[in-house]
Amino acid sequence: MRPSRPALTLRAIGIALLVAWSLGPVLVGVMTSLETQKEAQQVPARWVPSDPNTEYYAALLGGEQTSGRSSDAASDASEFPRAFVNTVLLTVASTVVVLLIAVLAGYGFSRLRFTGSRPLFWLVLATMIIPVFTLVVALYRLLAEFDLIDSFLGLVLVFVATTSPLAIWLFYNYTRELPPEPEESALIDGCTRFQAFRKVVLPQMTSGIAALTAIVMLAVWGQFLIPLLLSSSVETKPVTVVITEFIGKYTTNYPLLTAAGILAMIPPAIVALVLNRHIRGMLSAGG
Amino acid sequence: MTEHRKPGTWGRVRGRLGFGLSGAASENAWLGRWLVLPALVFTGVLVVYPIIVGLSTSVHEATPTLGTPSPFVGLENYREVLQQPSVGDSTVQTIFYVLTALVLEIGLGLAIAVLLHRTFRGRGIVLAILILPWALPSVVSGVLWRRIFDPDTGLLNSVLVQTGIIDQPHVWLADQGWATLFITLVHVWGVLPLVTLVFIAGLQAIPDEVYSASAVDGASPWRQFRHITFPLLRPSLLVALVVGTVNSINIFDEIYVLNGTALNTRSILMEVYTTTFANGEFAEGIALAFMVALATALLAAFYGLVLRRRTV
Repeated sequence: MRPSRPALTLRAIGIALLVAWSLGPVLVGVMTSLETQKEAQQVPARWVPSDPNTEYYAALLGGEQTSGRSSDAASDASEFPRAFVNTVLLTVASTVVVLLIAVLAGYGFSRLRFTGSRPLFWLVLATMIIPVFTLVVALYRLLAEFDLIDSFLGLVLVFVATTSPLAIWLFYNYTRELPPEPEESALIDGCTRFQAFRKVVLPQMTSGIAALTAIVMLAVWGQFLIPLLLSSSVETKPVTVVITEFIGKYTTNYPLLTAAGILAMIPPAIVALVLNRHIRGMLSAGG
Repeated sequence: MTEHRKPGTWGRVRGRLGFGLSGAASENAWLGRWLVLPALVFTGVLVVYPIIVGLSTSVHEATPTLGTPSPFVGLENYREVLQQPSVGDSTVQTIFYVLTALVLEIGLGLAIAVLLHRTFRGRGIVLAILILPWALPSVVSGVLWRRIFDPDTGLLNSVLVQTGIIDQPHVWLADQGWATLFITLVHVWGVLPLVTLVFIAGLQAIPDEVYSASAVDGASPWRQFRHITFPLLRPSLLVALVVGTVNSINIFDEIYVLNGTALNTRSILMEVYTTTFANGEFAEGIALAFMVALATALLAAFYGLVLRRRTV
């Protein structure tokens, strides 16, 4: 059945609206970040900067003390570079650990049978229903006892605890959909099960591993509530927490705030765009 | 969730080989245990154990210092926290967030999925743009939308005043109804891509023949959607409902960025946050957190029951 002309027009309008809805706020943010604070405070508002300038990007990346330039203290960019590095380190460390856990467990639970494998699998999955915040409140005292509040290790452990059940579930589903024939023939050819996993199954999994890496990275990169509770010093604070500190009590320096937001979204946006095909495949298979 | 049981890989290999069973089978079991060990250790130490300790904390009297034994008080902390008026208010507020989010996500998600599930030129790019808001940190979404909703210098007020729809700038987030709608909108901006992907996958699983057969029978597109598409989409609907509910019950970041911990927009998690960390009522906070967890689990089970019964 060929779509009719009005149907095509309707679809074009729908797609245009969808693109505007998805990109509009980002575009507004980019425009604002290139304005001066004076310009951003104009009424009626300016949508496009009259004289685009990157002073706030420079201030953020250089860690300048910008508080002198505006009326309140909520615009000190000096912590930003360190926070960005913290976010990168936290994301990389957590992703590596979650990936290791999820790939091994996803394969183990879906392809290997052993005593107790079903109950243990459902135990791991059941933890998914526990809201992240419930878990963090429960973990808080234990972390305090081991002196892990405001430490990298503490944060990574909490990120791993909160993201790995979902990661295991996604990878379990992914592995079940993989064709089993290559592994079977490797076994017939005399490989041990572990050799077959390492030499045949793992190379088969590249798309799934790419997708899982992206999904876990995005999840950890955007974490806000957990570090809001667990990190208080410059040494561990991630970029999401530092951004919220730019929101002033009375007035907000929007060019600075949006510039920080745009910088913080560049890495996740690149990951999402580059790996979007893999990500979509894994997310829509997880049902 | 579809649990279709395939015969185990090993079962098939064993059938073909026909010898050396016990050695290889025990090798498999041994490898299996080692592979899932890291997951079990992390889940046990970082999820199961803290939850048990937390449950125990919630039924004992709150103590100011760690490690000192305190008397068992049963559900006293649960009763106490439920008596705070702000808990009731934030529960109602959270129900509004959840309902608004679900209506928007299911409605828009279905519409966008219908729009995008068939191939057309440029579909790949549109899908890449679609998932972008989901990939962004929710704090960043909040920041971008705050620029639009800001009462003094925001773009929304500016447009509305210039076009004469309103006389003077409106403080949207001070108004209960608008605040709920706008905060949910920012939340939906980030979750909608995920819900849409679930529906696209669901639509693609419906074979085209079903449609052509009903077109021959003279069914209108709307009747096709109502009587064919919608019933066949029930499994996707279940996933979308669970994803939408779990995400919106946990709403926090968007509210924090747009309106701080202000009472009029406070969600139940914010209430847990202020009870536990700002007011230092640890046992009460954790009791409330467990009730939220229980409510989430019950809702998910409820969706499962309703939708499953209707399918059979």
